[in-house]
Amino acid sequence: MTSPIHHCKECVELLGEYIEGTLSPEQSKALEDHLSLCPPCITFVRTYKATRSLCRAALAAQMPRELMSSLKSFLSEHVPGFSCSKSDAAPRPPSDSEPKKV
Amino acid sequence: MSEQVTEEPREDGQPGDRELVEKAQKGDGEAFATLVERHQRQLYRLALRMTGSEADAQEVLQEAFLNAYQKLPLFRGEAQFSSWLYRIAANSALMRLRRKRRAPDALSDQPLELVGPKFSAEGYLDPAGDWSQRADEKMMSAQLGAAIQKAVTQLPDDYRTVFLLKDVDGLSNEDIATALDLTVPAVKSRLHRARLALREKLGEFFEAK
Ligand SMILES: [Zn+2]
Repeated sequence: MTSPIHHCKECVELLGEYIEGTLSPEQSKALEDHLSLCPPCITFVRTYKATRSLCRAALAAQMPRELMSSLKSFLSEHVPGFSCSKSDAAPRPPSDSEPKKV
Repeated sequence: MSEQVTEEPREDGQPGDRELVEKAQKGDGEAFATLVERHQRQLYRLALRMTGSEADAQEVLQEAFLNAYQKLPLFRGEAQFSSWLYRIAANSALMRLRRKRRAPDALSDQPLELVGPKFSAEGYLDPAGDWSQRADEKMMSAQLGAAIQKAVTQLPDDYRTVFLLKDVDGLSNEDIATALDLTVPAVKSRLHRARLALREKLGEFFEAK
């Protein structure tokens, strides 16, 4: 039996696990019961999630093309058979393209 | 070899890491090239997040892949190849950071105070503005982007790295824990504290608008 959540502070502490989906069903239930009664916590959950998505959009990092080719030529100097020319010519499947980040 | 981790078949039908590693261990340089091609982007993000500089990330990547190639005969498949690589790259990044910080930097040892939400004495939140509605990703402005950059830069190093690797780059808690030599609960706790601190900064940004 999980005790009910009375205070927003406990609710906020559990948010990381909550949005990751790793809370026990009882804990999730207790948290959702608190949310249903507490508008400030609903706002908190929304802005907590928005923080994550905004940062992801602002900070996504792509490996620069030039860096890929310099890494390739560096390794082909040190790894026998690490072919430079061939892999350039070989058709690459779509999985090699970077997943688009919004 | 019951200790080996099982490997899901790849969606693109290409040989899995395990198969490529075995080939590379027998001297197939092309198989190693495919592994590099496959993992370089995620490794770059790890190196970039840890060192904070593109030039350092480049050197970390060179060193890490070369190191991985040399240690390849020792790889026994008890872990995912990717986790093994992360660990090598993380070590290389740490050594680089240590070399750079010649003198012990008193400032960087100061624990920075992470500001989280304010509660009443009883533990309640006050009603606050819901800026999540205005924070549509498509509305990303230069101003907002700069505010986020600044807020993230102000986080303590280890909080920032965990946050970036997880929430921006999408690594798993387990991989982050392995790479940074932390426990998974420590990763989760840093992540949560970092998000709370960033949420406060974003709230300030939207309130000021
Ligand atoms: Zn509440």
